[in-house]
Amino acid sequence: MIKRLLTVLMALMLAGPVMAQSGPLRLTITDGVIEPITFAVPSFEAETPAAQQAASDISRLVVQDLAGTGLFREVPATAFISQISSFVQPVAFADWRAINAQALIVGAVTVNGDQLTVKFRLYDVFSGQELGQGLQFAGTTAGWRRMGHKVADAVYSRITGEGGYFDSRVVFVSETGPKDNRQKRLAIMDFDGANVQFLTDSSSIVLAPRFSPSGDRVLYTSFESGFPRINVLNVANVDRQQLQTAPGEMAFSPRFSRDGRQVIYSLSNGGNTDIYRTDLATGQHVRLTSAPSIETAPSLSPDGSQIVFESDRSGNQQLYIMSANGGEARRISFGEGRYGTPVWSPRGDLVAFTKQNAGRFHIGVMRTDGSEERLLTSSFLDEGPTWSPNGRVIMFSRETQGAAGTSSMYSVDISGRNLKAVPLPSGASDPSWGPLQP
Amino acid sequence: MTTPGTIISGIGHVGLIGWLIVGWGMSSEPLQIQTMDVSLVSGDQFEQMRARTTPQPGLADPAAPVPPVIEETPPPQPAEEATVEPAPPPAPIEPPAAEAPPPPPPPAPPQAEVVDAPPAEPAPPVTPPPTPDVQVSETPTPPQAPTVASTISAPPPPDARVDDVVREEVVPDNSAEAEVVAEEQEATAPEETTTAIVIEDLAPTTSIRPSTRPSRPAPPQQTAAAQQEPAPTQPTQTEPAVREDDVADALAAALASAADAPAIAAGPPMTGSERDSFRLSVNRCWNVDPGSVAARVTVEVGFSLDREGRVIGNEVRLMSSDGDQSATNTAFEAARRAILRCQSGGYQLPADKYDQWQDVVITFDPSGMRLR
Repeated sequence: MIKRLLTVLMALMLAGPVMAQSGPLRLTITDGVIEPITFAVPSFEAETPAAQQAASDISRLVVQDLAGTGLFREVPATAFISQISSFVQPVAFADWRAINAQALIVGAVTVNGDQLTVKFRLYDVFSGQELGQGLQFAGTTAGWRRMGHKVADAVYSRITGEGGYFDSRVVFVSETGPKDNRQKRLAIMDFDGANVQFLTDSSSIVLAPRFSPSGDRVLYTSFESGFPRINVLNVANVDRQQLQTAPGEMAFSPRFSRDGRQVIYSLSNGGNTDIYRTDLATGQHVRLTSAPSIETAPSLSPDGSQIVFESDRSGNQQLYIMSANGGEARRISFGEGRYGTPVWSPRGDLVAFTKQNAGRFHIGVMRTDGSEERLLTSSFLDEGPTWSPNGRVIMFSRETQGAAGTSSMYSVDISGRNLKAVPLPSGASDPSWGPLQP
Repeated sequence: MTTPGTIISGIGHVGLIGWLIVGWGMSSEPLQIQTMDVSLVSGDQFEQMRARTTPQPGLADPAAPVPPVIEETPPPQPAEEATVEPAPPPAPIEPPAAEAPPPPPPPAPPQAEVVDAPPAEPAPPVTPPPTPDVQVSETPTPPQAPTVASTISAPPPPDARVDDVVREEVVPDNSAEAEVVAEEQEATAPEETTTAIVIEDLAPTTSIRPSTRPSRPAPPQQTAAAQQEPAPTQPTQTEPAVREDDVADALAAALASAADAPAIAAGPPMTGSERDSFRLSVNRCWNVDPGSVAARVTVEVGFSLDREGRVIGNEVRLMSSDGDQSATNTAFEAARRAILRCQSGGYQLPADKYDQWQDVVITFDPSGMRLR
């Protein structure tokens, strides 16, 4: 027995130091830095002589897209130690680490006739590994921008883990002329302001265009008949169809349902404005609110189960949420000032809105329960927010003060950073961000 | 001159004196005193009284004689009555001869000879069983032991009926019957004596109990050895062997656990400043995107460092996460980039404490950096 005890004691003595070992060193880090991720994009290799220009243009477009997010910063080519002369050549990671490039994008472009092919690889420089697999896109030379956006979307998605938004379009109201005689037309553009195309002429006032979930149609309000009417416009052929309403009724502020088969909008009749839903195929109307107050600007949640809208039923313009089939609504905005034009985020976690308080307009976001309200912008007049397809960026229109004031569109990251104007040759307002193109 | 202490003391004294005078709160009951009347006696009267008492010194005796006389007489009677019942046993003595036969039938002649043997050979039979082996315990003897002790006539395993019968008869007089049975066996049923032998053999087996060795380790060896040779040698060999094995096993286990450990901490632990320095060197490379869904995910990553402070194989492992797959991947990539990007030529860590930072687990918690 004693011998056994001694044995156990001996074993414990031997094991003692091991048990005293605290295992791995454990640390907890709660504070990091907020800075762009550095990346390098050597000019894409032109695999055919005709691809020289396209390779250069696409390379620059990828850099422009990524750097434009504010989440990435380009390492200029002048800092490169080694050059990428071939798409298949091994990467000297040490050279890219030395210039602190965290990501390296290597690509190649081939042009045969009007056919263009782009392929790329993304490397995580500090781990010395390829991030994802090589990817290739093919199209026409005229669509080189889209292919450049596709490459940028893929890179963005692989690094951030979120979907991109570069290969998307925005429909908006193009404005020209002075304030007292402003000409308004529907127009469509790439997310970055390129490739602007007009969808309507300036013969009548158009307002609040809204993309369909698939991006093939646009809803907008037209004063062509003297009364506001809702039109459905086919983007491909610019055909229009008017939503039927009774004489004397004013329909405005439309949005597509998530399946694109229905429209929710505001209908004003006899001085009262309520929210309705209409089936585009059957024309059947359903009244969703029935209050003596003004209910307008409805926006569906991503799952289509709820609607956020604005109402002055409390005596002041505030935001409310109700079921997609109507019913009792709950107020979610309680701050000072007036809230309007709510838009549900594609992620489903936030609602963007316009807030007017103390003579200033703001674009802000709050959680769907009204908490964590954050104002992202402030100006003389900011309004009409719209979400990027990935729910990361908000575009809105801003109008400057005075008789010579102009309207333009801006975008801002939901963190409140990277506020910048969308470069357009003329004035613009009422943006509606469409989905990522297939 | 009148200090607070003086005042307090004065008040205390006055209060105490007053309390003693008033006696408030003190309830005293007069002690109960038993009083006895005493009469004075003169010396003559005392002598006369003594003279009268002297002739009667036997006052103490009467008490003694009385009880003994009274009590002694009755006892014998009840005793007789009690024994009267047992007395019938003598009667059974005869029947036993008749009843005894039933058990004997199975056994037969050997009884007469065996009867003598038991007394003389108690030892030899003990020796065979002494083998503390499992074999002894395997024999169904255990149940016999108790019955044997009580009834001699309970013969070997043959019939259970016999056992029952014997019990009824033996209970009253065990030893007496045993002797009687032996005598009768000579005449009729010597076989019964065989059962007696078995009983005597069983008795010694009880003395073997101390040998609990069968429960020792190395079962296969034991059984084999037990079959080959008597137990005595085996137990002595197995015990030390087992203990040596225990020691060896314990040492091996201890050494193995020590070997399995990544490293044995040596020297003083890392100081707070050393840990902070390490943490700061990592977090300056931890790039958090507050607008990302990954900013709501906490990840725990692990990695190993070489003596130069560089991540071995650039391998960073995801240990745990509290987010979904997509957000976890993004958060993990950010953590991995931070660790690998900031190592450059190796983290500056105290070389003499390498054992303490050879393996590192870092929790990246962005909760403090979320958008609010």
